[in-house]
Amino acid sequence: MEAGSELGARQMAGFKDFFQAANATRVIAGRDLLESTGFEFLKEGAKRAFVVTDKVIRETGLVDKVLAGCADGGLEVAGVFDDVPQDSSTEVVDRCAEEARAAGADSFLAVGGGSVMDTAKIADSVFTHGGSAAESEGFFLMPRAGDGAGEPLPIAPLACIPTTCGTGSEVSMGAVVKDHERKVKLEIADFPLFPRLAILDPESTRTLPPQLAASTGMDAMTHAIEGYVGLDWSPYQDGRSLVALRLIRENLERCVQTPDDVQARGNMLVAASLAITLNLGSTHSMSHPCGAHFGVPHGVANAINLPHVIRFNAEGGSDIADRYRDICELFDLETGGSDSAVGDALAAHVGAMTERMGLPSRLSQVGVPEEGIPDLVEGAMGDGLSLLNPREPTEEDYEELFKRAL
Amino acid sequence: MAYFKDANEVYEFIGGLFADLAIDDDLGPKFRKANTIVQYRYSNPDSVITVKMIDGEDGQVDLGDTQLEPEVVMSMEADTAHKFWLGKVNVTVALARGQMKAKGPVAKILKLVPLVKPVFPRYRSMLEEKGRTDLAEA
Repeated sequence: MEAGSELGARQMAGFKDFFQAANATRVIAGRDLLESTGFEFLKEGAKRAFVVTDKVIRETGLVDKVLAGCADGGLEVAGVFDDVPQDSSTEVVDRCAEEARAAGADSFLAVGGGSVMDTAKIADSVFTHGGSAAESEGFFLMPRAGDGAGEPLPIAPLACIPTTCGTGSEVSMGAVVKDHERKVKLEIADFPLFPRLAILDPESTRTLPPQLAASTGMDAMTHAIEGYVGLDWSPYQDGRSLVALRLIRENLERCVQTPDDVQARGNMLVAASLAITLNLGSTHSMSHPCGAHFGVPHGVANAINLPHVIRFNAEGGSDIADRYRDICELFDLETGGSDSAVGDALAAHVGAMTERMGLPSRLSQVGVPEEGIPDLVEGAMGDGLSLLNPREPTEEDYEELFKRAL
Repeated sequence: MAYFKDANEVYEFIGGLFADLAIDDDLGPKFRKANTIVQYRYSNPDSVITVKMIDGEDGQVDLGDTQLEPEVVMSMEADTAHKFWLGKVNVTVALARGQMKAKGPVAKILKLVPLVKPVFPRYRSMLEEKGRTDLAEA
């Protein structure tokens, strides 16, 4: 059978049968950019922006700086919605869209972490196209011209100012919120969800606590590694992943140890925006149920699970291990040994980084009990990202991986 | 030209495969662990197959009209479905390209994908047994 024609056939090198790459977000990065927020967002068609944030961020004073930056550029602010919780929901999204409509907004400006930005994205879609957040679920299902087969219809201009260095939502077409009624995480991805503008200014992460800098940074590292090794790898994402890893190598621990290091914080913002991809794998499949069942923060769960998945994948074939070799090389690790030795070297390196930054290294340290493993296994098997993992995991594999991570 | 000439052919071959899987002693219970109702909406020719996979209950496959309320709706051309069951469609690529559209908790369906690999030869054999080598060699 021709390479790639079999369902799930693994193609880890060469010219792929298919890949797709899109980067629709204009990124501006640098110092003192918050004061140019209005000037820059006007270029994207915004005139009267609805600011979406959370109360914690608002209390730091950051939102006031952004509001001043809007006014300086001549951008009106229709209102501020600061009700986004840590794990946002469809109810919050619908309320946000409704308030934006009532305020007469014509655009959205998100100031916050992943939950805030994802809320703004889906709220923007509901605001523009109607319906509700729950009805928006799905991949590539947003309204299109030509009876649904034509170009995706745009949503109102959206700008994002990330306040953590991990999610990458500010440059991605994906968004996730909880649907409490159905007890599921609702995932939406489509091209119109790419924000028009992302502003990466280290001032926006000045008050980020070191522990949060560490966990969100490990989230970015997981995106970069899984993005490089997942089945949906592409030469475009390869470049982004490797540069992101180089920036993470140089800046993540500096960010945690010396929070005043503006260079490090700025570079980590860039790293997170480069690392994000929809091509993720079993680390994320394991971490999602850890969050859903036991409230383990996403970045912490990724940091714990990543080394175990690296070892598992590296033993799945030399074509996979060779991709880890590239990453080992970047971290100055041993690259010439057996497939499993390469996996061990990288996994040990990731584990040591996690410990140096003071993050937990075992799931049992963050409230996951042994008897919770069956639920976690079921969640991981049911997570679509398992399909993109380069080595196909079975239920037994996940059980073993969770036991190792416990 | 489409592989299937009308909805009846879709029901005979793809519907027949679903019905076969629903009573399979080995695969049936595994599929029912998905605990969901999926509706497949095909175009060219227009046809609808609704499959109930609820843990602990008998499987059910409705062709055309149904009283079942689907949790997940998968839309695609009938040709794409046919090629899928021949093992010639990568689901993640088809979703990314919009050849398959999934509405609802897609993860429930995606976790079934590894289970269907052993079914591909069965679909091909069924087509050959029914004298439709033209479809089997699509």
